Amino acid sequence: MHATTAPPEPGDTDVDLRGVRDARHDRLFRYALMACALLVLAALLGAAASTAWGGRLAFETFGLRFLWSEAWDAVNGDFGALVPIYGTVVTALIAMTIAVPVSFGIALFLTEVAPNWMRTPIASAIELLAGIPSIIFGMWGLFVFAPFLAEHVEPWVNDHLGAIPGVGALFQGPPLGIGMLTAGIVLAIMIIPYISSVMREVFLTVPTRLKESAYALGSTTWEVVWDIVLPYTRSAVIGGVFLGLGRALGETMAVTFVLGNAHQLSASLLMPSNSIASVIANEFTEAYTDLHRSSLIALGFLLFVVTFVVLAVAKLMLLRLARREGA
Amino acid sequence: MAGNASLYRWRAIKNAMALGLGSLATLFGLFWLVWILGITFLRGIDALKPALFTQMTPPPGADGGLANALFGSVLMSLMALAIGAPIGICAGTWLAEYARRGKLGETIRFLNDILLSAPSIVLGLFVYTLIVAQTRQFSAIAGAIALALLVIPVVVRTTDEMLRLVPSTMREAALSLGVPQWKMVLQILLRASRAGIVTGVLLALARISGETAPLLFTALNNQYWSADVTKPMASVPVVIFQFAMSPFESWHALAWAGAFVVTLFVLALSLISRFLLARSKVTHD
Amino acid sequence: MTDSAAASIAPATAASAPAQASAPQTPKIAVRGLDFYYHGFHALKGISLDIPTRQVTAIIGPSGCGKSTLLRVLNRIYAIYPKLEATGEVLLDGENILDPRYSLNRLRSKVGMVFQKPVPFPMSIYDNIAYGIRHHEKLGRAAMDARVERALRQAALWDEVKDKLKQNALGLSGGQQQRLCIARAIALKPEVLLLDEPTSALDPIATGRIEQLIEELKRDYTIVIVTHNMQQAARCSDHTAFMYLGELVEFDRTETIFTKPARQQTEDYITGRFG
Repeated sequence: MHATTAPPEPGDTDVDLRGVRDARHDRLFRYALMACALLVLAALLGAAASTAWGGRLAFETFGLRFLWSEAWDAVNGDFGALVPIYGTVVTALIAMTIAVPVSFGIALFLTEVAPNWMRTPIASAIELLAGIPSIIFGMWGLFVFAPFLAEHVEPWVNDHLGAIPGVGALFQGPPLGIGMLTAGIVLAIMIIPYISSVMREVFLTVPTRLKESAYALGSTTWEVVWDIVLPYTRSAVIGGVFLGLGRALGETMAVTFVLGNAHQLSASLLMPSNSIASVIANEFTEAYTDLHRSSLIALGFLLFVVTFVVLAVAKLMLLRLARREGA
Repeated sequence: MAGNASLYRWRAIKNAMALGLGSLATLFGLFWLVWILGITFLRGIDALKPALFTQMTPPPGADGGLANALFGSVLMSLMALAIGAPIGICAGTWLAEYARRGKLGETIRFLNDILLSAPSIVLGLFVYTLIVAQTRQFSAIAGAIALALLVIPVVVRTTDEMLRLVPSTMREAALSLGVPQWKMVLQILLRASRAGIVTGVLLALARISGETAPLLFTALNNQYWSADVTKPMASVPVVIFQFAMSPFESWHALAWAGAFVVTLFVLALSLISRFLLARSKVTHD
Repeated sequence: MTDSAAASIAPATAASAPAQASAPQTPKIAVRGLDFYYHGFHALKGISLDIPTRQVTAIIGPSGCGKSTLLRVLNRIYAIYPKLEATGEVLLDGENILDPRYSLNRLRSKVGMVFQKPVPFPMSIYDNIAYGIRHHEKLGRAAMDARVERALRQAALWDEVKDKLKQNALGLSGGQQQRLCIARAIALKPEVLLLDEPTSALDPIATGRIEQLIEELKRDYTIVIVTHNMQQAARCSDHTAFMYLGELVEFDRTETIFTKPARQQTEDYITGRFG
């Protein structure tokens, strides 16, 4: 009595046909959804490929010299990436120097210090900072913050820090307001919400019993955070820091406003400079030779590769904690 | 004994210092928020007048408004949502329903998170080489596509996350009625996570409404009213950029007014989506 | 009729001797040598049993014994997950439903299922019932109304919801939601109803109503219920299968299982010595 070989009952052929049709629709549906998912892949690969392609003229013309050449001469068609790379790295480093400790402080405050009723509103307010469009940071930086720095902070920095032998070179120069220091500070403000929210979230994943057993030994709050919470969440904290770094490297508009668009290599943080993103934003529509445009796209390619690596590291570090949590 | 006491005191001092610095860091963060929003609102309200919404962007020195830029922003944002949201919802659904595990799913989820934080100016360059360089024409549609590339990862991620919150028994209950999977997904799962997915779309809208970099060399700018999507089109952020970087006072005022409008819109959106998200989480439990 | 049929089912023990129905009446579902693998884990081991028509069969056993797994094989709902595999035969009216050629549509319209937690769909009460029907039959407005009403009446829910059919089903109480899910399942006019711990998320009063409902529904449907609650099995089933570690230890009339079980293991579980 092997059933399936039995002929379907008359009333059931309809049902069976519908089953076949449903299966076909299910398959089509799945493929359609998958095609959309593959578009995500295509967008990323496309961004890499198109900028590599668009920058090929620059890479062919200058070769590897493009990476360390200081030149940026539209008239004679000689371009190099050193100054924008330098500006990007320096501003990002300033931003990280400020944003990492501050973000850690905020996460510490929000998970251990603040009374419960205060936590959500303050966390939301800090995250609101991430929602402000970057062009607003740029305008505020240019019209409000830079003049403020030029008037009240930079003269003092010049007089006091600039006089220190050695590091003094970092703080010399006219108090223009705009420059690498200003751009770095603005970037720091922009990435604090990203880093602090990752830190806060991962601090909250530390099992209570771990913390309680440390408190039971008489540890202070600070000791629990430093000796228990931070080691436990180390990989994710590094992930959060790299996430912030990725954002800082690729940020365009705010930096464009306050960096000064000056193609020069200076030791002093008070001096204007350029970053990869800001050169592209400033010059792309005004680039009239193919080589100039290609050099800008090549810069875009470099930026994309670097941020990709940084963000991939961030994501992998974050996944490590997530895996352990899931296990 | 004395040694112990001083050790305890030192530990207590260190603790108090650390917690104090943490509180200071929080104040530091909030301080910028208040300063930036305060300035934007003060200067924006000063510059706000009805002409902002009725007149075109003026030449230097003349009076005018941002009507064409506001229109361009709204139009391009809507086009970007129309392109990006369906793709994002479909891709997120695929990740949640067909690729929870598995190499391809994990890879796409990983790359999507990178796309989420990738520099938007590079996406602008991508669309430039893909479309503008080919058609030899800056256009609103190119701008919309560049913005859509920013919409997609946000929507993919929220859709994926929201669908994972739907209990698996909901799927089993639908399938046990003999309903095919595609109907189950469209009519039951997406409906069950509707609030969350709408939130994702709103967040994406908030993200693109202030975006400037990807529009600079895709949609470019346009001093005049234009509704032709194959031609350059003005947008509020690009106009803000152009006006703020100029030496003209009247342009600065318009830039502040534009900044005010954009900020208000973005903050309202993020508050609404927060509210929706909180509500949808409550109904899921 | 039930008594004579039930009495003729011989006490059976585990895989070695399949629980055969030598009754004149053929079983609604006959499980033959069923093995189930869950990511390589052998979750069901050589299960054979006969589920009689229009009676309530309860499956009991400690958690992890495979009772829910067995239930989930009976409508092949397990097949939506990867890496799950069933071998052997499950004959529904003599046809093997594990055969891939057996139409899922047909199977699911014949075998309804209700889950542990009530899962109303995010739509109105009316649409919850009509949703499944629409997929299987094209009905006019009036016919659909009648079908919805009939299902709700059968599930003893009609009087409570008749004035708010257009309201969202999520507004119902937990017990009402579960009866709605039963109504949704029986609206398709299935022949078999699978209940997977249907009252474990409900309070005692709601549980009582569901049990009463099961008693009424067995006039029309063959019911298989998985429960961890032995009193529930004793109260509302005609036959009981006791499972342990993926094996069917004993299958017999409920009365027999609870008064003089053939196996020591069964007795230990029934009397609460383990599990």
